[in-house]
Amino acid sequence: MNRRGFLASVSVVTLAAGLGLAGGYSARASEPEAVFALGSAEIGAPHHDPIRATLLSTVATLIYDRLIEQDVDQSYHPHLAESWENSPDGMNWTFKLRQGVRFHDGEPFNAATIAWWIPKFKGSPNEYLVDAVDRVELVDDYTVRFIMKRAEPNLIYNLASSFMGIPSPKAYDAAGDNFGVTEAVGTGPYKLESFAVGQETVLVANEDYSWGSDLSDNKGAPHIKRLTLREIPDASTAFLELKTGGVGLLLGVPDQFLPQLQAEETLDFRSLPGFGITYLAFNTRAEPFGDAAVRQATALAVDQGAILKSVFNGVGLEAHQFLISTLVESKIDPKLEIHHDLAKANELLDKAGWQRGDDGIRVKDGKPLKIKLTAQSETAIKRTAEIVQAQLKAIGMVVEIDIFDSTTVVDQLKKGQHQLAVRQYGWNNADILDWFFSTTNIPYPNSSGWQDEKSQELRNVAMQQSKTLDERVANFRKYQENLIGNFLFVPIHEPVQNYAFNKTLLEVPEKLRGTQLVQATTVDIKVVG
Amino acid sequence: MIGFTLRRLVLLLPVFLVVSLVVFFIIHLVPGDPIDNLLRAGSTPEQRLQIAAKYGLDRSLIEQYVTWMGRLLTGDLGTSIIQGRPVSALIARNLPYSLELGVAALLFSTLTGIAAGVIAASYQGTRVDDTITGFILLGSTVPSFWLGLMLILVFAVWLGWVPVSGARGWSSLILPVIAAGLGGIALVARVTRIAMIETSRQDFVMLLHAKGLPPFIIQLRHVLRHAMVPVVTILSLRIGWVLGGAVTIEYVFARPGLGSLLIRALNQRDYPLVQGCLLMLAMAVIIGALIGDIVQAAMDPRQREARA
Repeated sequence: MNRRGFLASVSVVTLAAGLGLAGGYSARASEPEAVFALGSAEIGAPHHDPIRATLLSTVATLIYDRLIEQDVDQSYHPHLAESWENSPDGMNWTFKLRQGVRFHDGEPFNAATIAWWIPKFKGSPNEYLVDAVDRVELVDDYTVRFIMKRAEPNLIYNLASSFMGIPSPKAYDAAGDNFGVTEAVGTGPYKLESFAVGQETVLVANEDYSWGSDLSDNKGAPHIKRLTLREIPDASTAFLELKTGGVGLLLGVPDQFLPQLQAEETLDFRSLPGFGITYLAFNTRAEPFGDAAVRQATALAVDQGAILKSVFNGVGLEAHQFLISTLVESKIDPKLEIHHDLAKANELLDKAGWQRGDDGIRVKDGKPLKIKLTAQSETAIKRTAEIVQAQLKAIGMVVEIDIFDSTTVVDQLKKGQHQLAVRQYGWNNADILDWFFSTTNIPYPNSSGWQDEKSQELRNVAMQQSKTLDERVANFRKYQENLIGNFLFVPIHEPVQNYAFNKTLLEVPEKLRGTQLVQATTVDIKVVG
Repeated sequence: MIGFTLRRLVLLLPVFLVVSLVVFFIIHLVPGDPIDNLLRAGSTPEQRLQIAAKYGLDRSLIEQYVTWMGRLLTGDLGTSIIQGRPVSALIARNLPYSLELGVAALLFSTLTGIAAGVIAASYQGTRVDDTITGFILLGSTVPSFWLGLMLILVFAVWLGWVPVSGARGWSSLILPVIAAGLGGIALVARVTRIAMIETSRQDFVMLLHAKGLPPFIIQLRHVLRHAMVPVVTILSLRIGWVLGGAVTIEYVFARPGLGSLLIRALNQRDYPLVQGCLLMLAMAVIIGALIGDIVQAAMDPRQREARA
């Protein structure tokens, strides 16, 4: 062998050793098992402790049960609470608890559990969920009464939150800070087997489970006996995992993947109504948006239909008010909803003294109608900003787009450095209006800077003086009608939640239950074959 | 040699101090606030104040730095604001994944890069050299994100040889190592090739040829050894990359690691975690450079004397 031949051989061997390609990486066990990939918003949950968590994933809804479940139409259903009653003055809530429920560690679930659980929220990030509860009284072993500091009809919504999953008191106190990391004990349909932060959680079926909520067809132990929930941050990788069968179900699929999903014979998807809104946020402290006429003209110049078609491929709904459409509070007077009306938008600006120059740009007192539009560096948001830029040009407004990462955008909003911003929120409760528009939340999250006595009065009534759910709905409708009448935002789009699955691996019910694909549907999913 | 090493170690102290200052203040200069990432709809303004007080964010930057340094000297990197876990525990949990991928990618890129560089230099000016140089150019320009997805498509989706993603078992390491290592191969091969060609032109090599030594022995025993000095420099600078340089690869292949941890912490302005990760990476770069210096000095006494 000559010098060149020798060197070439050594290099080829080195390359082969480096590559080391070999087959075979998985073996399917005989018992029904499945792998789900968590949605991007759920990735990075550092633990599964519902009391002290600020981020929880679907995992928590599988390990822990809640007193109350919320369905896709936002209605409330019994679970560990068989029934409940709110006194007419709203100052007492009485819950009848389900009997025969046991935690994964064998401990019984009863009224004493609730009396231990509610005070645990004191000092936690989730304290606000039970802040209105003064104390818990034990009526009998399976009946508890919450004595309230103030009437809070929204308590029922809070109790249906995933942060209100009930842990085992014994395991919780014994594990301390490790609860939710090394062990997580609830009464739910799955038990924690292992958890690797940022990687995966492995769950095994709770074979003693027989207290499923009425949202599930299957009230007993789940069909999938071993469930792995993986964290795959890149949507393309997750999609390829689904395609190859490495993952059976994706708990969140970007709209742009839907055409590819539909083209694949082995794949299918289910959808649930959206959980939030994309909108434009005005800064009323920054000119020209201190003027209600300019805000109204801007709102009317935005064509929601065009954005839905060009940015979101027609997936989801046009938004014409601030709340998600499944909330009853969203059903405001249709005349107040914000719809595209270019002629009226131009008319409003003409009346407000903004005259068009030769170049089509409007001018008032020598100042051109030129604004900055702040947006975060996410594809759909950036594209929305670009379409809005083009649409506002039609009313003679020049828009410059500033792109930042999400935390910097929040910083800009907090400092009031923005004029107009493309924003998104994800929340299925009308109290989001308080979050973004109450004077108590200036400068952030109320970055609109809106301060108005009438608005705040309506906010106070809705938030603090509603005694029943019906009253609360009526009060929030009035509050939103006031806000929308002042043109503090431009609603744009209400996305849907998409869940994709591999048909060769899983059978997913046609109709999903719950506000998201969580416990109620998961226990009904079957493994094919 | 011992004196040289000790002197270099002592110099690390002021470097560490400067690095800690930069690491601490640089993240506080970036706009944003970790508390905004903690609060959800329904949280009260009082809760914001409580969180700020809990993590000392209501104090001046100087006070915060002094507190952080004080804890650092006792080995306490603080607690992640967003994750609520000790920073050292989070780093310890992610470090093995970064080391596994980084070391494997470094080995792969070094061995393959040196082999490719030696072949290219040996066949200088031929089609073999042109082909390898072409691959080097391609390797330095292809984005690792795109390359990762292409590797998944070919080897996992079409051929089904390896898993698409994850960090379970050695088979899940193959594609990330190739994707992370390709840029390194290009770099090492380019440096090796140039160094080999330059060394081959030196007088002592001519002398060895004149003495009648077989060219193959000259290349491997004499030319390659001298050509390794710049390669060692490059490799020592890549030790920091071993720990935190594979962010995009970790993202594409859904692997945990220090890079992903740092990026997530940066996006959330999780100050203690960012500071802990950056300090760790900075120290890895510094120690890498130190090892490089020591190895170079061992290989070439002239450098040892020059730096003495």
